[in-house]
Amino acid sequence: MKSFKYILVLFFLASLASCSSSSGNWGWYVIDPTTKSGLANIKFLIGGFGATILLSIIAAFISIILGLVVALPGFSNNFFLRSLNRIYVEFIRAIPLLPMLFWVFYGLPVIFQSLGLKIEIDAFWGAVITLAISDSAFTAEIYRAGIQSISRGQREAAQTIGLSQFQAMRYIIFPQALRRILPPLANQFIYIVKMSAFASVIGMQELTRRANEIVVTEYRPLEIYTLLILEYLVLVLLISFAVRWLEKKLGSNESNSN
Amino acid sequence: MKEVINIKNISKYFGKFKALDSVNLNVLKGQKVVICGPSGSGKSTLVRCINRLESHDEGEINVLGHSLTDDRACLESIKSKVSMVFQQFNLFPHLTVIENLTLGPIKALGVSKKEAKERALYFLDRVKIPEQAYKKPNLLSGGQQQRVAIARALCLEPEIMLFDEPTSALDPEMIAEVLEVILDLANDGMTMVVVTHEMGFAKKAADKIIFMDDGKILEENIPSIFFKNPKTNRLKKFLDQVLNY
Repeated sequence: MKSFKYILVLFFLASLASCSSSSGNWGWYVIDPTTKSGLANIKFLIGGFGATILLSIIAAFISIILGLVVALPGFSNNFFLRSLNRIYVEFIRAIPLLPMLFWVFYGLPVIFQSLGLKIEIDAFWGAVITLAISDSAFTAEIYRAGIQSISRGQREAAQTIGLSQFQAMRYIIFPQALRRILPPLANQFIYIVKMSAFASVIGMQELTRRANEIVVTEYRPLEIYTLLILEYLVLVLLISFAVRWLEKKLGSNESNSN
Repeated sequence: MKEVINIKNISKYFGKFKALDSVNLNVLKGQKVVICGPSGSGKSTLVRCINRLESHDEGEINVLGHSLTDDRACLESIKSKVSMVFQQFNLFPHLTVIENLTLGPIKALGVSKKEAKERALYFLDRVKIPEQAYKKPNLLSGGQQQRVAIARALCLEPEIMLFDEPTSALDPEMIAEVLEVILDLANDGMTMVVVTHEMGFAKKAADKIIFMDDGKILEENIPSIFFKNPKTNRLKKFLDQVLNY
């Protein structure tokens, strides 16, 4: 599987390169590192990595914690707490990312203002909050599925050795669920990285925004957006390798009895 | 002899299905009670009511002087004094054998790590697998896993042990090694309630055998009479089937 990915990338690059030499449709000069302006463009474009990565990591981190906070009441015996979980998940999951981003960036400050609060939301934090909240509904469902997948016998065994409900969750259920939660959680992280491109519309200087800006000045959309896609591809591949490694370390693919 | 379990007229419903129907049972300290009967007769449910894995709907259960209710204090007082061995072992797959054994004593009973480990090694020796202490359960055979489960239950130093079909998920060759361990415990004076189809074991170990069908206790007797002179036709038929194959 791994080598397949490399071959695909190489093939893709090779075909692009051949296009540029045989026909005049491609203008790779805009990002030709041997020319001064090309190098400047590349530097500008690649400079967006930092913001995209930082934005994604902070949003994912908040989402992972918020998701757990949202998921846990779902296991309560209390109907009210369970309902809170359901309402949050159903409501947040139903909001498309872009409208939510607009609402947070343009709408929320109005609410703050009317409350007399002097809180400003810049593009970065607007994007972080939106991505984190939007993603937390999915993260919560991942936790729920993972925890529910642990057999009832495990809970019963924990009870018969005298563990409290909290201890059973802490020492027995959650550690086992974590191994099943990790792969889908990593998927969500990849999703966040990709969705962070939306932050460009509220003016955040991340990968996509910078690509747009060069496209406007150079008028070379094909080359710039091709590079943009490759930038995301590199990011996502790096994440999936990191997750593979982590899974191996945690023993996610170890077959568990029961 | 002190009475450690006293079940008075309990009934249990799963929806409309009556899983237990006015069951009465007494167990004295040190007594070994074997429960048998066809599938779905309520044997497992009865045993699971004794340590509150299931709650009964009618009647009263008294364990070690505490009446079982949903009250936290009540569950707290019987916890770890009544231990259980399951048909499916239910070992914790993410922990090593020794961690499986020490978790309960350390977290629930507040025993020191060192003492919990000594206790665990002692009981692993007792169930004859000291060499498996640092392996993960999935590397062990079924019989070994069940013996670890028994050792895990013993580490809590319970006053009563419940066995819910402890050999039903095992290959025939492994049944003997597990029964041997349980028999050894029985000879040591442990109070136990065992749900099993192993009639040979029942003959050897039981002080009292109970036959259940349709959520009711149909017969209750000492082994010699139970096997030779069954009173009901239902038990005669059951014994014919169990003993002849």
